[in-house]
Amino acid sequence: MMQAAFADYVFDSQRTFRELLQAMARPAQPRPLPVLPPSPAPIAPAAMAILLTLCDATTSVWLQQPEEEAISHLRFHAGLRLAERPEDADFALISDPASMPSLERFAHGDLRYPDRSASLIIQATSFSSSPCMQGEDGRGSHTVASTQDCATPPQPSPASRGGSNPAMRFAGPGIRETETLAIDGLPSDFWQQRAAMAAQLPLGVDLFFVAAQHVVALPRTTRLLES
Amino acid sequence: MTYNFAFLDEDTKRMLRRSLLKAVAIPGYQVPFGSREMPLPYGWGTGGIQVTAALLGPDDVLKVIDQGADDTTNAVNIRRFFARVAGVATTEHTAEATLIQTRHRIPETSLREDQILVFQVPEPEPLRTLEPREAETRTLHALADYGLMHVKLYEDIAQYGHIATSYDYPVLVDGRFLTSPSPIPKFDNPKLDRSPALMLFGAGREKRLYAIPPYTHVESLAFDDHPFEIQCWEHRCELCGSGESYLDEVVVDDQGTRMFVCSDTDFCGSRRTEAQA
Repeated sequence: MMQAAFADYVFDSQRTFRELLQAMARPAQPRPLPVLPPSPAPIAPAAMAILLTLCDATTSVWLQQPEEEAISHLRFHAGLRLAERPEDADFALISDPASMPSLERFAHGDLRYPDRSASLIIQATSFSSSPCMQGEDGRGSHTVASTQDCATPPQPSPASRGGSNPAMRFAGPGIRETETLAIDGLPSDFWQQRAAMAAQLPLGVDLFFVAAQHVVALPRTTRLLES
Repeated sequence: MTYNFAFLDEDTKRMLRRSLLKAVAIPGYQVPFGSREMPLPYGWGTGGIQVTAALLGPDDVLKVIDQGADDTTNAVNIRRFFARVAGVATTEHTAEATLIQTRHRIPETSLREDQILVFQVPEPEPLRTLEPREAETRTLHALADYGLMHVKLYEDIAQYGHIATSYDYPVLVDGRFLTSPSPIPKFDNPKLDRSPALMLFGAGREKRLYAIPPYTHVESLAFDDHPFEIQCWEHRCELCGSGESYLDEVVVDDQGTRMFVCSDTDFCGSRRTEAQA
């Protein structure tokens, strides 16, 4: 049976967008998403919230795991177009990061129009942020893991493939000094791929990571500092 | 007649929201967007209004200023427009607002991380007066070739002995994109640098959006021997006595009597209230 989307179409997407905007403006700082809509596997509810907020008939979306139920859910609720190949996508949903295609394959934009580039929504196993830089609510260090999420079936333990990554330090626009973040479940050469793209700035891809109800963004301008 | 919340339809808001996210991801770069016809003419802040409409939620508190003032025609109209089509709370106090739409000023009161500033922009392209062709300016941005602007500033020095640009003073955002700060006085340019608040810019007629994320390096162009300087006055505000705010010169009678007052009405009013207390 078809599941519902946002219960309150106008305000759920508005509240989600404001968190996404702040996440993009303040990279590497995880933020809780206000609404988690129902979502068929393999799409996590937090990823579904982003897709419903930003995608419609004018955007093309590439699904790494194009399951029938997920496709019909997205077509019905968002009317979006599916991209056949990663390079054709405005948005890409990465539901199994350990086996994701290289970042090089997604649209980077061109020098006259760097905005014509892909935004990736990556379902991480978990991420954890630094202490003391948690923003206005004053929480300390915390870890967000997608396994706490009862709305999606447990993933086939991607942690065993991706391994646990050490915390990394980031700097760039939107970050006051530096920001510390660890993201689990990514391919081992993910950060080398991303660093290789930094030479092409302002071309690049922009990343949203989701785990449980949290989102954290890494726009192309965010630099990974040497540890 | 009823409208969708905040006037714009949801498809338009989604388009604006996607463009705004790209604008934040590429600081200072002008993202083209499908600007809609608004119930105000171009030149009255249609770009800023569309950005505000895409952001606005029922919990927001909106402040609108025009040249620093909350009580001028453009500001009053836009504030009333959103009170009517979105039912949001409005305020004239900078500290109370979550969202501030502005024409040509940045408030004197320091902004916070939880506030967003939306600028109304008439001409988003800083090179437009020097190069009228869009295809050409786009190439110059692609190549980060900003020699034209340096020559223009140099010619100011050669002709007048100083850089004569006093508003819409060009800035380099994150060391990459030459950007128009909108026609704010150059007095406000230092507030753009490493601002705690996110700053979004909308140009309705020119159909461009751009952004300066928080804590982003924003440099006003200058030369080693002609460093960037802001305006200063021999006067203080005659109403509140402030010596560090941007002052407007106002003619007060038919004899040409003038007075200098703060352009930021909330800043000036709050200081006077404090002084009386």
